[in-house]
Amino acid sequence: MTASSAVQQRITVPKVKKSWKREKLVPYLFISPFILAFLLLFLGPALYALIVSFFRYAGYGSMTFIGLYNYFATLQYRLFWMGLRNTVFYWIFHDIPMMTIAFGLALIVSNKYIAFKRFFKPMIYLPQLVTGVASALIFSSFFGLEYGVLNRLLGMRIPWLIDVNYARWAVVILLVWHGVGYWFIVYLAGLTSINPEIIEASIVDGANSLQRLIFVIFPLMRNTLIFAFVMDAIGSLRIFTEPNVLMAQRGGMAPYEIAPVINVMFSSLGAGRFGQAAAVGWIMFLITMGASWAQFQIFNRLAKE
Amino acid sequence: MTTRTVQVPIHFYTISRFITRFLTYLVLIATVIVSLYPVVMMVINSFKIRSEIFRNPAGLPEHWTLYNYINISNFHSGLLQNFLNSLVISLTSSLIAVILCALGAYAFAKYRFKGRELLFALLLGTMMIPGEIIIPGQYIIFAKMGWLNTLRVQILPGSVSVFGLFFIRQYMLTIPDELIEAAWVDGAGHFTTFWEIMLPASMPALGAYAIMHFMGMWNNYLWPMMVATKKEFQPIVVVLPQLVDTQIGFVPEWGLIMAGCVLSTLPIIMVFLAFQDWFLRSVVIGAVKG
Repeated sequence: MTASSAVQQRITVPKVKKSWKREKLVPYLFISPFILAFLLLFLGPALYALIVSFFRYAGYGSMTFIGLYNYFATLQYRLFWMGLRNTVFYWIFHDIPMMTIAFGLALIVSNKYIAFKRFFKPMIYLPQLVTGVASALIFSSFFGLEYGVLNRLLGMRIPWLIDVNYARWAVVILLVWHGVGYWFIVYLAGLTSINPEIIEASIVDGANSLQRLIFVIFPLMRNTLIFAFVMDAIGSLRIFTEPNVLMAQRGGMAPYEIAPVINVMFSSLGAGRFGQAAAVGWIMFLITMGASWAQFQIFNRLAKE
Repeated sequence: MTTRTVQVPIHFYTISRFITRFLTYLVLIATVIVSLYPVVMMVINSFKIRSEIFRNPAGLPEHWTLYNYINISNFHSGLLQNFLNSLVISLTSSLIAVILCALGAYAFAKYRFKGRELLFALLLGTMMIPGEIIIPGQYIIFAKMGWLNTLRVQILPGSVSVFGLFFIRQYMLTIPDELIEAAWVDGAGHFTTFWEIMLPASMPALGAYAIMHFMGMWNNYLWPMMVATKKEFQPIVVVLPQLVDTQIGFVPEWGLIMAGCVLSTLPIIMVFLAFQDWFLRSVVIGAVKG
């Protein structure tokens, strides 16, 4: 907006009507549906869960105040730690290959000499279009002992979904297959927004592709990369569908040796131990906060070096 | 990349570049095969009869059959009902979410009012709370209200999104005030201005967010699994895994399951094909989501 038009508006508009921007009540009317829904559906339940976590409560009858007992009980619960260990396992072992592949593919496709981008982009993204449950079921059929495509291909009889030590890796394979396309698109958007002149300049200066990657592209992509890693860490804490649906053949839920931490919340709720379920939720919240904070610190330190 | 070095004979570069390019395309094609293969097998196996899937899990069907798709509509009171549940839940929730977010975002982007900055900061602060954490609280409250095994308990809790509010507000900030000013001068009221000027002008943001929200609701597994225990209220993604272990006999009926998977993926593919640009943009903005 030019200065003259701004002046003009300031003069002419109030003459016609009171300025719309200064209206007192109207903005509150606009935000009230959202705020109301937010209080009823999000903040209310969140605070309620916080309160319940200090009580013994089975959903009916009286609530008994037991202080931090639910938290201590959870921290002493073997299956909670096992679930947490499994979730961390899934996070680390799917995160590293997935991010590397996604970034590598984005580097390749963002190269201006690569043709058929309109074909490769949606094709690499494709697994994201398959619902999580459907992809877990497809892979569950691939991992079959006798008739599974994978064992036939390898000419082996790996008990993928029978032995939990293999099942863990089956979950990781599924997570990588399903997740690459998402981060590929994110990285591609970041890479294509890099000013091509900066890249040209580094070529003129005689940087080879590896130097260009380390000294030019990584620093420019720093924020995107931090974001991707932190977001995927938070997202990984919520892993639930993949292990459970992959193992659905064994009776609904994943066996505890490979069950993610969310399963503890799920089974506590199912068993009517509402206080404990709420405590698990808030412990996970603290872990999420801690993990994101730690990652920000690590990346900031790395970036400074 | 353009090479500026001159002292190396030109044919060396041509050959090495050819090899590099060849390997690059090889990597890309291998990736496409890996991403495509499971999806193609899902579709192909959905056209096989039960006995053939075990004999021939990886090839084309010897006898193409629509048996599985016909069976979907009359299997266990009908997978089709669960598919419709999914559609109703995801579409209604997306509509509610977009309207709530757009109304709120308009006030935060264009009006000045007391407490605006504080309220917005507080809302953004809650974005760090992952949705799964409040599930116990939501579950107890809705169970007490007697809402378990309804569609509304699957629609409403997901329909308020601070991220959506934030994202749509950011877009509305870029829409010039002159547009509103002009409508105001023409005598339009606050709501008319919002409805007839602001909403159409924010379509790119609304569309991208609606797609993101739809995807999230469609894929939602944990919450519906907890609150909908009766089959007639379950969305399709909750029913499909049950088919794997409730089959008669020991071996699951993969053909039928794959047909169900195709059915559960079809709407997303259709949305993708129709709005590919919005869709991929929604991925990029979604990466910012907390």
